[in-house]
Amino acid sequence: MHVAALKEEVAIAPAPASETGAMVRLLTCGSVDDGKSTLIGRLLWDSAAVAEDQRAAVMHASQNRLLNGEKIDFSLLLDGLQAEREQGITIDIAWRYFETAHRRFVIIDAPGHEQYTRNMATGASHADVAILLVDARHGVKRQTRRHAAICNLVGIKKVVLAVNKMDLIDWSEQRFRAIEAEFRVLAGSFAFAQIAAIPVAALPGDNVVRRSSAMPWYAGPTLLDYLEAVDAKVEPRDAPFRMPVQLVLRDSDFRGYAGTVASGRVRAGDRIVDARSGLGASVRRIATMDGDRMHAGKGDAVTLELDTDLDVSRGAVLSEMARRPINADVIEARLVWLAETPFDPEMGYLLRTATDLTPVTSMSVSALVDFETLASEPAHACAVNDIADCRILLGRPTALDLFADLPATGNFVLVSAVDGATVAGGVISWAQAGASAVGGNVFVLDRQLLARGLCSDLADSPADAAEFHRRAQEAAILLRSVGIPVLIEI
Amino acid sequence: MTALVSHLKLLEAESIHIFREAAAQFRAPVLMYSIGKDSTVLLHLARKAFWPAKPPFPLLHIDTTWKFRDMIAFRDRTAKELGLDLIVHTNHEGLARGINPFDHPPSIYTDIMKTQALRQALDAGGFDAAFGGARRDEEASRAKERVFSFRAAGHRWEPRRQRPEMWMLLNGRLGKGETVRVFPLSNWTEGDVWRYIALEKLDVVPLYFATERPVVTRGGQLIMVDDERMKLERGEQPEMRRIRFRTLGCWPLTAAVESDAADIDAVVDEVLRAKYSERAGRLIDHDQAGAMEMKKREGYF
Repeated sequence: MHVAALKEEVAIAPAPASETGAMVRLLTCGSVDDGKSTLIGRLLWDSAAVAEDQRAAVMHASQNRLLNGEKIDFSLLLDGLQAEREQGITIDIAWRYFETAHRRFVIIDAPGHEQYTRNMATGASHADVAILLVDARHGVKRQTRRHAAICNLVGIKKVVLAVNKMDLIDWSEQRFRAIEAEFRVLAGSFAFAQIAAIPVAALPGDNVVRRSSAMPWYAGPTLLDYLEAVDAKVEPRDAPFRMPVQLVLRDSDFRGYAGTVASGRVRAGDRIVDARSGLGASVRRIATMDGDRMHAGKGDAVTLELDTDLDVSRGAVLSEMARRPINADVIEARLVWLAETPFDPEMGYLLRTATDLTPVTSMSVSALVDFETLASEPAHACAVNDIADCRILLGRPTALDLFADLPATGNFVLVSAVDGATVAGGVISWAQAGASAVGGNVFVLDRQLLARGLCSDLADSPADAAEFHRRAQEAAILLRSVGIPVLIEI
Repeated sequence: MTALVSHLKLLEAESIHIFREAAAQFRAPVLMYSIGKDSTVLLHLARKAFWPAKPPFPLLHIDTTWKFRDMIAFRDRTAKELGLDLIVHTNHEGLARGINPFDHPPSIYTDIMKTQALRQALDAGGFDAAFGGARRDEEASRAKERVFSFRAAGHRWEPRRQRPEMWMLLNGRLGKGETVRVFPLSNWTEGDVWRYIALEKLDVVPLYFATERPVVTRGGQLIMVDDERMKLERGEQPEMRRIRFRTLGCWPLTAAVESDAADIDAVVDEVLRAKYSERAGRLIDHDQAGAMEMKKREGYF
């Protein structure tokens, strides 16, 4: 956490949805004992997101508790699978939906136990905002540190520290401030852009939706106020354009590249480049069933028709000319191990980036994160629920970015080549173009050079252009085969 | 009441992304088309995902022979107008044994005429992926469903063997004997589906709109008499009531609601104010505790 961010105040006034995002994906993490299910249940119950038959079912199931003078068991709204109800724990991620007059919310309810770190990491990867729940009686614990580390790993920038069960510590401001301060120190080692600490009592409902009268010393937003106002967008305005190609669509005389814009914007007429081959083209049309568009931005699912055929397929990343992805075959990454079977350096793995699937030729683990200290400790093995630093060599280069720069093209999952299982998810911290390019002597094959000799017999026709590209690729393959790294610039 | 629509474009883009990921990664996908509102949205999104090409997979309808007549007419008209390949499959073995929703408990009827029928059709077509319109907001066991939901051999759903899905990275690499169900509408709610139908001006089965229809009251639920196979119990006399349906399935097992919502705007309005959750009208889900979870394990959806 940076000093500037420490001073950032939480905005209370709801901002227009179009500016801050019409839909907010919200991670809730904390363990059963912290009252997480109760907090979410309360949020749904008080914001009128519960249908009457569900309300009646919860009231019915809570009858014994009510007779004993206890409160309604809001967690009954959440625990889904039979196995979980029987065990009384939440093992899998549950997705909940509700909306207010201002916003549509997706709640990603992740399990808190350490043995389910992988489930939490999975849930967190979908979230714009995380609510970290702590029990006011116990404050920041080992698991709070672990949750914060996971949120940071997957790229969450906005964090709410919900200090729950304030009723059990006599609504003590002093205690709340101490927990908040402790958390801000801990968060100092992470890249969060905004931290809000809110004192709540989920069971009676204080500061969840309804403002608490028991804590007049707290002037900040209630949890729902905060969620309705938070700016969910984190991408800088001038992020470079990236569109990983999902598939090529063909129809009689149409050939277009279908994909979702991962970052930045593209306009009809823009020059773009296929990062892997280095081939460039202009965008002729941004086609959709609702008609052509003049431009497309992050998150838009579109189809680009180009003026020249790049002959690329699924796995290519179309990008802006000036700021291109790294065409890398060596990466360093931090990952969370998801599979029950531990990492095995002899095993075959595949690296799944945005839309590409690249064989891993070798992989090694260098360190594990210690959840107590959050420091990296040297290690060579990793197993389920571990967060590890590793180095991966790829069988061929693929286009990617550093996660800190562009999350959507800087993340990956690791797939078992044997049974297809997803064994790890990670973020790229360092990448290099060409495992053999360590000397930096990259040979650049440009249009002029090729046109002078190898391609001097070719004209401007589409068939000749294709032949031009084919020869460029073949020349590059020959050069690379004798250890010369090549960059094609045509 | 809210009239939020700005998030629908985000949901639309997400669904298109899922369709394209599945089409790119699986060898032989099929779209499970059940004619209702969710299928209508699903099909529309499939068309958008591959436009100007047609969706690169056929539609599959499991016909129990007990669907509302309006549904069958709508199904055939839709396939014809859009020029899509429609596969209709019925479990003829079950039909020959006389399995029907009046004489057999809903759990047995559904297992034979829907679950087994679906497995037969998927096996016969050699499909390795089937798109479905399930939403996570429908029911508790679906709240934990993946977008790519893996099924072991025999179409069994094992909650503990599901793959983690991180970011937008959908891993469709199949293990031996595995198939997958793909749910592009995972993050949609019932309200979203209706608002999207209104926004995109989509045609839906007329049964969703209120009008006078013949019904009987059974166990507190309104059952419409759709054809002469209705087995009336002692003292039952069909009467005309102004009703509509929130979900559509086999007519003897689908309860209607009394309503004045006769057009799309009125339906959107009604759904957003709804007092009861959607599946309250599905008789098969109440059969036993954890009913949907059991059905999923057996391969229903």
